[in-house]
Amino acid sequence: MISRAPVSWSTAWSAVGLIAAIALPWYALQEGLDSGAWISGLWSSEDYASGLAQIVEHGKWWLAPVLLALVVCLGAALMPATRQRRGTLLLIASTTGLLLFVAQALGISLHGWTAGWLTALFGELDTRQVGLGAGGAVVLVTLLSLLSIGLALRGNFGGDAFVAGAATTVAASIVLFTAWPILRILVQAFQDGDGLLAPALLVERLATEKIWSLRCLSGGGGRCGVAWNTLFLALGCGAGTTALGLAFALIVTRTSFGFKKTLRVLTVLPIVTPPFVIGLALILVFGRSGLVNQFLEWSMGIEPTRWIYGFQGVFLAQLLAFTPVAFLVLIGVVEGVSPTLEEASQTLRADRWATFATVSLPLMRPGLANAFLVGFIESIADFGNPIVLGGDYGVLSTEIYFAVVGAQLDYGRAASLALLLLIFALGAFFLQRHIVGTGSYATISGKGDSGLPTPLPDAARRAAIWVALPWAAFTLILYGFAFVGGFVKVWGRDYTPTLDHYAKAFAVERAADGLIWTGAAWNSFWTTLKLAAIAAPLTAALGLIAAWLLVRQRFAGRGTLEFATMLSFAVPGTVIGVAYVFAFNVPPIEITGTAMIIVLCFVFRNMPVGVRAGMAAMSQIDRSLDEASLTLRGRAPQTLVYVVLPLLRPAIVGALVYGFVRAVTTVSAVVFLVTAEYELATTYIILRVINGDYGLAIAYSCALIVLMLVVILLIQFAVGNRRLGRRAVALGGGRT
Amino acid sequence: MSVEFQNVVKRYGRATAVAGISFTVESGTLVTLLGPSGCGKTTTLRMIAGLELPSEGRIAIAGRDVTTLGATQRDVSMVFQSYALFPHMNVLENVCYGLRRSGQSRAAAAKHAREGLLQVGLKDYEERQPSELSGGQQQRVAVARALVLKPSVLLFDEPLSNLDARLRRQMREEIRELQQRLGLTVVYVTHDQQEAMAVSDRIIVMNAGRIEQQGSPRDLYERPTTPFMARFMGESNPVRGTVRRLDPEHVLVQLGDSGIIVADSTATEGEGTVAIRPEAIAVEAAPGPAGALAGTIAKASYLGTHMEYSINTAAGDLFATCPWVDRPFEVGNKVSLVLSSRGVIVVGR
Ligand SMILES: Nc1ncnc2c1ncn2[C@@H]1O[C@H](COP(=O)(O)OP(=O)(O)O)[C@@H](O)[C@H]1O
Ligand SMILES: [Mg+2]
Repeated sequence: MISRAPVSWSTAWSAVGLIAAIALPWYALQEGLDSGAWISGLWSSEDYASGLAQIVEHGKWWLAPVLLALVVCLGAALMPATRQRRGTLLLIASTTGLLLFVAQALGISLHGWTAGWLTALFGELDTRQVGLGAGGAVVLVTLLSLLSIGLALRGNFGGDAFVAGAATTVAASIVLFTAWPILRILVQAFQDGDGLLAPALLVERLATEKIWSLRCLSGGGGRCGVAWNTLFLALGCGAGTTALGLAFALIVTRTSFGFKKTLRVLTVLPIVTPPFVIGLALILVFGRSGLVNQFLEWSMGIEPTRWIYGFQGVFLAQLLAFTPVAFLVLIGVVEGVSPTLEEASQTLRADRWATFATVSLPLMRPGLANAFLVGFIESIADFGNPIVLGGDYGVLSTEIYFAVVGAQLDYGRAASLALLLLIFALGAFFLQRHIVGTGSYATISGKGDSGLPTPLPDAARRAAIWVALPWAAFTLILYGFAFVGGFVKVWGRDYTPTLDHYAKAFAVERAADGLIWTGAAWNSFWTTLKLAAIAAPLTAALGLIAAWLLVRQRFAGRGTLEFATMLSFAVPGTVIGVAYVFAFNVPPIEITGTAMIIVLCFVFRNMPVGVRAGMAAMSQIDRSLDEASLTLRGRAPQTLVYVVLPLLRPAIVGALVYGFVRAVTTVSAVVFLVTAEYELATTYIILRVINGDYGLAIAYSCALIVLMLVVILLIQFAVGNRRLGRRAVALGGGRT
Repeated sequence: MSVEFQNVVKRYGRATAVAGISFTVESGTLVTLLGPSGCGKTTTLRMIAGLELPSEGRIAIAGRDVTTLGATQRDVSMVFQSYALFPHMNVLENVCYGLRRSGQSRAAAAKHAREGLLQVGLKDYEERQPSELSGGQQQRVAVARALVLKPSVLLFDEPLSNLDARLRRQMREEIRELQQRLGLTVVYVTHDQQEAMAVSDRIIVMNAGRIEQQGSPRDLYERPTTPFMARFMGESNPVRGTVRRLDPEHVLVQLGDSGIIVADSTATEGEGTVAIRPEAIAVEAAPGPAGALAGTIAKASYLGTHMEYSINTAAGDLFATCPWVDRPFEVGNKVSLVLSSRGVIVVGR
């Protein structure tokens, strides 16, 4: 049975591209496609014209070669030829088309040519280009698809057009929505206000007291620069969360401590709480009108202070917020240390302590470095806690925020600071890789590694319990206060129980023509829910497909793709947010102020985690299962649907939940992208906190937590569990 | 001709897994790829399946050039070493899988799948999950699943390596019987020389990414052309000797002070490597007949069916097997070795 699929696909795609070039407006419309107003102007109106009409009627000659490339592709698809020849032709035509497409999109913008030398070369242009619209986008997608088909016909990607298409999609979307925006930060950092390149300016912007001063070290109340502030905080947070996380992980896996379940709950909390809720709780307890200050004033007459605002407050909040993340990372690490190795050590005359110190800990070292990196990056990327608790202790993420949205409105400065932040993050990333190396020796084999985990030596156990338990109690108490805070009139002054805050946020009135959502929070609530619900499946799908490609397919550039996803994992949200502002408010992709940019930001911000989770899950499933399906006539997409996905249910749930929850709780990236029309829950809450409206902020946060728990249950219910029969089976195994 | 390889090369980065091999597999035969671990057998098999595409060369299946086609587009199915039964489907669903993907209706697929299960003797196991089957049963499901597609070539990658010794013999007989009954074209990979000899019409021996020698099991055992082949196809003692041609069909092989006439039409004269099969050495008490090789027993082990001896001789240390277990020689006994000409092979310089 010969499958001619790729051939007919190439015909179909070429046709789709050509139809889009004739029947859809090439450029973006002010009012959106759904108004339908463009249909009448498809030929005559310069705003609404299709690609073909733009060439013929409106003088956009540079689009002609792109459409010509499509015609050539159609020809190649229809003419009789061997696979190899057809593939080569498609490849050449689509690559040429793509290059020309990109060249014209970057070369010609709102004001004609974008660079002086282009004007010199081609002469002045009297027309201009706005952002890409439906027609242009479809043609771009078409060219990418044809490129994939061409590659597959020539035998790349195992000759499979679906795999080729998936790889191209993932690669192109990472280039477009991660690499390109970050590149724009670089450019912006080197540009002056008029868009001219001025490298000296970067030095000027970055070499200031405000960023690098070290005066806080010399005492006397001097302040340090924001760069140092960020670094000190991140190093402290990385070390602190790793130590605390390790204590928790050791207690859960290596002692007979009775309340392990409760400790595990702690790991769920930060996942479903917006990151600044802890900061908020700290204010309620330690703030000027917080419980501690009030008690001190009442009992000893000590003046209330603003002690919590500053380094100590942010540090405490970040430790509380990110320790559970380190815990989560380290549980896996501790469990991954093979009991057999520890038993071997004990049979070699090492006592428990020596075993722990010379076998277990060294085996955990890569994991510890990893946990440190996570804490470090979470800290420098954190925006919520510094803005709520920082006071005049500025860090890079808040500085960037004020440079973009504040009175300064200095994009160049914002870009330079973002560049600095990026360098910190990538520096930590590369340093970690350098120290640890890529290999990790603690692996979970999936095979029955019998043997019992060695109990912790007594001293270590006591230390872990003494550190971890008070900390856990502290965390729970803070959450408790945060919860109560939503039910009292004015924290610190009037503790009368009330439901006012909830009413103010979520009031619904019954009117003649139905319900009216009068609560202050509804607008941002529905927007958040809607955008997160759109983003979550996209995040999961893209993440899992990327993971599938990386684990299961072998192709040129696989290493680069994997590295790119790892790298984007380390890029702080603030950097992404700023980068989106720079990259997408000018043609060729003009989507600032739309819901789309927020969704894209969610997707590409959270995808790397989906990729990692997917890769971990997929490498536990024996590769020969996929191959068996392939040799049984299941093409790659069918293999994915019937074999891989059913076995990946837990990972799908994980990716969907993560995609949704992170979209709801994220702050740092989206503060730059929200508008009055598309306001998000977190940004709305942060504004309330900054204005001192704690009651409403807490009520809203609690509602969000409930929403997320409900959605998690729904997702779990909808996707379901995988069913593997009564006896446990080993999914592992491998070829020899 | 069902499978044809022409100068096929497969490289992974800088490493070469398969370094230019050509062979053909006639339809209706069972051909085995045999070789030590890491020699490129699996890679070759996967290139037939389309799970790997060659870096160079041409592959044809059933007369059609499939060099750049992926696994789905080839008319081939494969039985994996790990069986690769889908753990989330029961036995019937597993066997139906390929039929459904080829576009058969649910009912037709189920019908054919039941026939397939009948062929391998698993009629009553339809509803079981793979995890509820023994190793041998899983193996049969995997075979049925591949079989029902009626592929032009059926591939086996070390199908018996996860089974215990007794079951291995039974399964290999079943596979061979099924292949002959249905006239299947099979390419079979193993590293076990006995298994290969038991099931194959033809064997292709690979070494370090190349084909060392190919032929019928008998050919390869009795006429290995290289020292590697002599060592790999059964056991043999490599010794140095001098070869002198007597006539176009025979040579005289001189080992120490004993000479033996061997049927051979290709060996060149002069000093060369000679392989002696352990079963071709008759061990007798010294002094033996004239022209026998004198030696001393260095080691002796009793293995139930036969004795194994290590013997010091002028031609080097020899390893011999001997069916007389009643009155074995002991270490230090002087013996005299008589070589049977069928087990003395000139394998090169
Ligand atoms: N995916 C791969 N990447 C790199 N090298 C490989 C890969 N697969 C196989 N090899 C190498 O190719 C050689 C042949 O492997 P293989 O065909 O699996 O041998 P075997 O004969 O044991 O089945 C080995 O040296 C192996 O290390
Ligand atoms: Mg192998």
